[in-house]
Amino acid sequence: MNKKTDGLIPPGLVYVADNITSKQNLLGAPKETGARWAKSLNLPQEAETIFFAGCGYQYNASLQSLMSMIRKLDKSPIGAELPMGLAGFTKKLGIDPAQIYRRLAAKDSDSDAQPLRDAVGVLKELGVEFGYLAEDEPCCGGILHYTGLEKEFARNARNLYKTLKARGVKRIIGIVPSCTYTLAELIPKHVPGYDLEVKHFLQVVLEGVESRQLRFPREVRVVYHDPCQLSRYLGLIEEPRRILKSIKGIELVEPDWTHGEWSTCCGGGGGFEVVFPELSQILAVNRVKELVETGAKVIVTHCPGCVMQLEDGLKAMKVKDVEVLDLAQVLAMAMGG
Amino acid sequence: MSVFDEYKKEIMDAAHNDRIRLALSRSINRYRPNISEALKKFPQTVKLAEEVREIKEKAIGNMEKLVEQACQAIEANHGQTYIARTAEDALNIIGGLVGSGKLVVKAKSMTSEEIGLREHLEEGGNEVYETDLGEFIVQKLGSRPMHILAPAVHVPKEDVAKLFSEITGQELPADVEVLVATARKLLREKFFKADIGISGSNVVAAETGSLFLIENEGNIRLATGAPPVHIALVGMEKLVPTLTEAWKVAEVTWRFANYTIPQYVSVVSGPSCTGDIERVITYGVHGPKEFHVIFLDGGRVELAQHPSLSQVLYCLRCGGCLYECPVFGVTAGHFGDKYFAGIGAVWAAMITGDKEKAAALAYTCLTCGRCKVRCPMKINVPEMVVELRRLLAEGA
Repeated sequence: MNKKTDGLIPPGLVYVADNITSKQNLLGAPKETGARWAKSLNLPQEAETIFFAGCGYQYNASLQSLMSMIRKLDKSPIGAELPMGLAGFTKKLGIDPAQIYRRLAAKDSDSDAQPLRDAVGVLKELGVEFGYLAEDEPCCGGILHYTGLEKEFARNARNLYKTLKARGVKRIIGIVPSCTYTLAELIPKHVPGYDLEVKHFLQVVLEGVESRQLRFPREVRVVYHDPCQLSRYLGLIEEPRRILKSIKGIELVEPDWTHGEWSTCCGGGGGFEVVFPELSQILAVNRVKELVETGAKVIVTHCPGCVMQLEDGLKAMKVKDVEVLDLAQVLAMAMGG
Repeated sequence: MSVFDEYKKEIMDAAHNDRIRLALSRSINRYRPNISEALKKFPQTVKLAEEVREIKEKAIGNMEKLVEQACQAIEANHGQTYIARTAEDALNIIGGLVGSGKLVVKAKSMTSEEIGLREHLEEGGNEVYETDLGEFIVQKLGSRPMHILAPAVHVPKEDVAKLFSEITGQELPADVEVLVATARKLLREKFFKADIGISGSNVVAAETGSLFLIENEGNIRLATGAPPVHIALVGMEKLVPTLTEAWKVAEVTWRFANYTIPQYVSVVSGPSCTGDIERVITYGVHGPKEFHVIFLDGGRVELAQHPSLSQVLYCLRCGGCLYECPVFGVTAGHFGDKYFAGIGAVWAAMITGDKEKAAALAYTCLTCGRCKVRCPMKINVPEMVVELRRLLAEGA
């Protein structure tokens, strides 16, 4: 990246982009940490169909503590720009202060990636055969595209395709909305002859799930929050609702106006949260208000970014009797998992 | 402080400003039911919008020719026409026409905002009145418009009452009716004393040289009808070939602009004239004797060549997208330059602003895409914003 580039791209995004190009995940963490959640699941690493877990869920706990640090800085007179710029600089020297902070602050990693374990459980229960590349799973690089680093994104896209082809992968089951959209729509633009079939988890499980008797462990009023990339980008609006409606014990409610294609963004889109950490939290609070006004006690969504933002919004509003669940978790609970 | 730091401070101040948020949430809560009611009442609008997108696509690819045609038509109608290649050209042309020491009444025009026309005329020693109520409020506040159609969208009625009380020296209540009556009183005589009226236009039919002006307040009719001179500043992207097409563009514009049915649509093609005495055509009867139209390029012709960013030129300026932008919902036009939100970032980069400001705006877009769902032209703002980031990052 030249000087001009460094000047116009906000430091937070330069930092994340560099993590992707150097470490193949947006956190810049060792890949083994990301794959830890699947240790006990015995998923094959060689398979024609793979489950693509994505950074968002895999590094969820660490991302949460990192965001909390950035938000604190952003609200302080220091601001987030200088430390983010500094983090990028010291990392080049071999020190990564964010990494150190994460290690200190990351909450118990057992709670990490529960939606992934649940999604895997649901897929297995439905008899879907698939593998998982674990520490060899490449980063989709979507953030590079949204940052404007299209050349880097194109390079990442070609490498990703090469890696997957070399391992004999033919089909991908994506779960993070943004990764899935990137794999299905953005990467093919840079890879001539791209022939990987990409489906979202919901598309894979929909029919199998609907033909089952599903019951949520308790009677509950649920509101569904559409992630932007799932609804407006991938067009998966009816699928999650059909699933939720098929679960006994769940009463699905919708906010006025702001649902489906009109859903309000959680405030964490396209890297926005690292550039405007505090504003992003204000937007999260606004969205949470729209959702809790429905009287729902559970907010269900299906994106690691949205989960993080909505939980943060609830916390900022000091709402204690509403919880956020990922749709994969809800499904696993309703299938008696 | 860098441009980005300064900008970030500005939008964070706005985001913490309860007055802005109060005013915006009131407006958004009115806009959504209104537009949905309007589309129910006139369901053909959706199809019409698709047709208008096609009309605009063709027209934008043919701007230079349409301008030529429009100029010929207007000259044939006894108007004067000018093509301004840059904002500076436009200011010089209009500044020359206005001169100094004049009283000028202005209809609301984002294009005049784009080139800083009011400030330029004021610096030239003229007294300039914004006559659109929202714009008048913003002018008196010494602020700038915070929405393309509702410039004072960020000002709650209580603040307007305070402002008008200061101007009139009377204690006025936060009663909308009283405030509107006050504005009428304050501006009434200006329309008739004014030397010059200035307007923009929502859409122009090239074949007849007809300018369409959509409004509810009636200030545009007065500002373009009462003074002896009417000057119109029009962005070249406003041109379409025929009157029939212009009507279609106008209808889609007003419907999405929350008018449902506009109280007034003026169609102006030339100066006022009569042939009632011995069939001798004489100009300047009750309306203006002089009619000047300035077509502004200002980067539009070049922008029209861009494969993705040229979409901004399809924009009808209905402002619907702004009500759907979550960031705009807490910051108003502080998330903007001359134009606002994601699409405003593209305008800032290509037309009005410097790269640093454009970059700051581009990275403020969530790329969430709800604006695109609202947009009657289905302009893909997230795609444009990401493309803009690429251009900026690559130093192009």
